[in-house]
Amino acid sequence: MEGTAKRDLKLVQDGQKEGAPKSEAATRDELQRWPLFGLSVGSFLQVIAMEQQTCIMEVYHDADHWGQFCFVEGSLYDASCGALQGEEAAMEMIAWENVRLNIKQILNTSKVERKIEKNLMLLLMESTRRRDELKNGGPDGDMEDAEELDDIDDIEDLDVIADDVERAKLEACLNILAKDMGDALNTASISSIREGRIMASHKAPPQTAEAFLRLTHYLKNAFAANTSVHLGDHYIMDMKGGLTLVVLIFGEYQWCVVFDNTKCTLGLFRNVIMPKVVKTFNEMNL
Amino acid sequence: MNIQKLNACMDILKKDLGDGFVASCIITTEDGQVLVATDHANIAEATLLNDATAFIRNALKTYPAELGNYYYIDVAGSMSVLVIPFGDFQWTVTVNKKLVKLGLLLNVVLPAIINAFEDAVVS
Repeated sequence: MEGTAKRDLKLVQDGQKEGAPKSEAATRDELQRWPLFGLSVGSFLQVIAMEQQTCIMEVYHDADHWGQFCFVEGSLYDASCGALQGEEAAMEMIAWENVRLNIKQILNTSKVERKIEKNLMLLLMESTRRRDELKNGGPDGDMEDAEELDDIDDIEDLDVIADDVERAKLEACLNILAKDMGDALNTASISSIREGRIMASHKAPPQTAEAFLRLTHYLKNAFAANTSVHLGDHYIMDMKGGLTLVVLIFGEYQWCVVFDNTKCTLGLFRNVIMPKVVKTFNEMNL
Repeated sequence: MNIQKLNACMDILKKDLGDGFVASCIITTEDGQVLVATDHANIAEATLLNDATAFIRNALKTYPAELGNYYYIDVAGSMSVLVIPFGDFQWTVTVNKKLVKLGLLLNVVLPAIINAFEDAVVS
C-alpha cells in the first residue's frame, strides 16, 4: 500500500508484505494475511480505542476498497484509503461492514504525525448520521424522502427521533469524560436547563442533577434580580470526603461533574479535561 | 469574637489579592446581617448567597454529600465570587478573575483567611 499513512508513519514492522489481496485469487496465504473477518469496522475501532492500543489496523473490504487506521495509545491518529487521507478516509472506512482486518504493531511512534483531531466517538456518530442521510436520499431529501416523511404522520415521532439522537450525542460526551477521568470521575450528568430534565447521566443520582438544575435557576434569577451581574458559565463546590463538584453551563445545557480531587486535581480538570469537554461538546453541534 | 482580628482578616485578604481584590463581607448566616464589609461590598449579593448556601446544602443531601470549605461562582464579565461558609458565619469574597489565579485563591489565600477567621472567632 502506497498511501500517505504508510509513508508518513513508517509503521509496518511485522515483516509481512504490503498491499491488499486480489479478490479474484483469495488464496490461503491471503486469508491468513487477513485473520479477522466478518466484522464491522466501527465496532473493532472501539475495541482498539478502549484497549488503548498503539497499532495499525488494516481493513480490506474488496479489491478496490481497502485502507488502514493508525492508533497511538487508543487515539486515532491517521487513516488512509485510496486517495483519501485523515478524517475523510476514516469516515469512508468506518461505514464498511463484513470486512477483513489485520493488526500490525507500531514499534516507533516518535515520527507519527497526528492528522485526525476529532474524537473517534464523534467520527462514529458522524458516520452513522451520513449513512442515515444516504438511506433517506441525502440531506436535502427527494420525492421518496418526502413520501417517507408523509408516512410519519405524527410529528411527535420526529421529536422522539431527534431527542434520541441528542441523547446519544450527550451520552457519547459523558463516555469521553469517563474515559479521560478514569476512576477519578465519581458521577456526571447533562441536563437541559430550559426543559429542566436530565438528558444523560453517568452514575449520577437523578435527584441531585435536578437539585442543581434548580440551584442554577435560583442563582441566575437571584443574580439578575438583586445585583448588576449575571451568573457565568461555571461554579465549583468543595465537598467533604475529597470530592469536588463542577457545574458547567453551555447555553441550554448544564453539566454536573463530581470527581475525586485526590485523583484528579481541580487544576487538571479546569486546564485539561474542561477544554476537551468544551471542544467535544461544540463539535457535537447540538 | 475579636473585632480587631476580624478586621485584620480583611487586611490579609486585601494584601494577598492585591489588585485582584474587589470587595468582601462577612455576614451571620442566621439573619443575614453584615459583620464586616469592605468598600464596594455588595450586601444584596452576600445575602442571596447566604440563601444559596442553604439551597446547596439541601441539594447535596440528595447525593448524599456535605459542602466542604468553599464554593466558587463564575460571574459573567471579569468577576468571580468565593464563598466560605463557617457555620454561623459566611464570608464572601469578590475578585477580579483576570487578575487572580484560581490556584492562588484556593491554595494560598483560602487557607490563610480560614486560619485568621478561626483565630478571630475563638479570641
